[in-house]
Amino acid sequence: MHNPSPLTPYPATVTKIVDETGDVKTFTVEFDDPQVMENFGNKPGQVAQLSVFGEGEATISITSAPTRGKFLEFSVRRVGRLTNVLHQFEVGQKIGVRGPYGNWFPYEMMKGKDLFFIGGGIALAPIRSLIDFALSDQYRKDYGKVEILYGARSYNDLCFKHDLFERWPNCPNTKVYTTLDRPEEGWDGHVGFVPNYVEEVNPSPENKVAIICGPPIMIKFTLAVMEKLKFADEQIITTLEMKMKCGIGKCGRCNIGSKYVCVDGPVFNLAQLKQLPPEF
Amino acid sequence: MDSRVVNKGQLPELLDKLARDHTLIAPVREEENVTLFKKVSGASEVQLDYITSDVSPKGCIFPQTEKTISYTYTGDTLEMKEQDEPPKTVLFGVRPCDINSILALDPVFEGKFLDTYYLEKRKNTVIIGLSCSTILSTCFCTAFNSGPCDGKGADLMFTELGDKYYVEVNTEKGSSLVEAYSQYFSKGDTDKLAKAKEEQAKKLEGQFRRKVDLEGVKQVLDENFELPYWDKVFKKCLGCGICTYVCPTCHCFDIFDYVTGEFTGDRFRCWDSCMFPDFTLMAGGHNPRPSRKERVRNRFMHKLKYHLDRYNLDGCVGCGRCISKCPVNIDITQIIKDLKEVGQNA
Repeated sequence: MHNPSPLTPYPATVTKIVDETGDVKTFTVEFDDPQVMENFGNKPGQVAQLSVFGEGEATISITSAPTRGKFLEFSVRRVGRLTNVLHQFEVGQKIGVRGPYGNWFPYEMMKGKDLFFIGGGIALAPIRSLIDFALSDQYRKDYGKVEILYGARSYNDLCFKHDLFERWPNCPNTKVYTTLDRPEEGWDGHVGFVPNYVEEVNPSPENKVAIICGPPIMIKFTLAVMEKLKFADEQIITTLEMKMKCGIGKCGRCNIGSKYVCVDGPVFNLAQLKQLPPEF
Repeated sequence: MDSRVVNKGQLPELLDKLARDHTLIAPVREEENVTLFKKVSGASEVQLDYITSDVSPKGCIFPQTEKTISYTYTGDTLEMKEQDEPPKTVLFGVRPCDINSILALDPVFEGKFLDTYYLEKRKNTVIIGLSCSTILSTCFCTAFNSGPCDGKGADLMFTELGDKYYVEVNTEKGSSLVEAYSQYFSKGDTDKLAKAKEEQAKKLEGQFRRKVDLEGVKQVLDENFELPYWDKVFKKCLGCGICTYVCPTCHCFDIFDYVTGEFTGDRFRCWDSCMFPDFTLMAGGHNPRPSRKERVRNRFMHKLKYHLDRYNLDGCVGCGRCISKCPVNIDITQIIKDLKEVGQNA
């Protein structure tokens, strides 16, 4: 018998589909062999390769925390060939999953600290795994205050509305700030871009870690605000997106300099990012 | 180290036997004078007098196209079948630069995630090297700790000396093969031949026309990602990707599905090229290496710096294929020279 092949996915089934926005759906996936989930060992921030047979594979971040249960959630924007087909999936359909790949948020290092999450649009998905991890019954005591600042273009573009408006605000010592880019009828919450809202909320860097993920333009302006607020580079953590095929550091396309995002990332702090060539 | 002698006249018989008992892969001349490594059924197909192959033999271990799984998928049901174990293979006639390239590929496919597709072929393959007897104007293997008669990495290393092959037995694998075909491997006067080989190697090393000095080049690249030099180099690149296709150390691949029926399909991996714009293009439209400038820089950075950073091994072996095949004469040895100069003027 030969060794298991690293590019063979595990058979799994889509057990739930949630429409998040007009073009984002969250798929709950369960492995057909429960033993696979037992051994999967995904940590918050890691990614997996989803197989849509006939279309190929795509790298998607695991948006569920391992503390949530024996399933994986993937929030996927309909943006290309494969994701278009995935969006036509129905509950009960088979899917392939391999992983988990990449590093994870340094949740050990974050112990005893306050967490300030900043997300924009679909980019709440990769950091949601850490939010739910830190808010879980099991680990909540390890972390201080949890704040989540999240924005989208419109109300319809907000992902995870159930989390934002019901689940997270009811967690102990947790605050959620939600903003829309433009005013909208029926919305009486904050209006404005994420970086400006961060400045308004004015988080103190003391004993705090900021976890940021969003479109490049949001990241760029948010980092400028963080600097103004005197956050050190080591206190700012982000997760990168790159085109990947293998997920195991061999196919060669997700490199930034000598680093492969699929094995050396996707999580980097700002100090580490500044060491890399600006090619992402 | 053990050594043996094979009479030139007996080599065809040995190759025939090897082909009978194993999958024998050897240099073959195809139409249009293209030389490449292929499965052969016997000695008559083997091109023994080749100088260098147009396509490197890396494909014997890392095939250009390779099926990873076959699947039957109806939506409600899913079945997958993996690759069969690769056959016992003898890879005959590999030049030192190409053996060196396999050593450069090994750590890519080893590591935390073992690439069984590569590693099982590697394990099942006996590499028989063949010393060079002609140095091409594009050759520069000596810049990378190798040489025209260097047997490093070969299980058996053949060197043609008059009417004999001097055979160095470098590994267990090589030794087992010698034992299995002992009638062809005589003990003979190996000391004399060892000396003759050394002399031949020395003579050939004097025939390199390209003097390539890497001293300081990596340091320039370590310290400078942005160099005005790259703005110049990429301009003539057509982005055709031939350099990556013929390169023996390029290992980038794509993975894609090929539908074979209503419910069936195969998943393949195949060589890909960092010279192509969609190599890094994401579905959302963002491309971290959007122009040929970034792509050309990435390729040379990979060969001269990134591979060293990751694996402490050179990412180039000096085979010269990218020089001879590039339609617009982009020459890695010129780039090495220029980068050195950039470093000296900095």
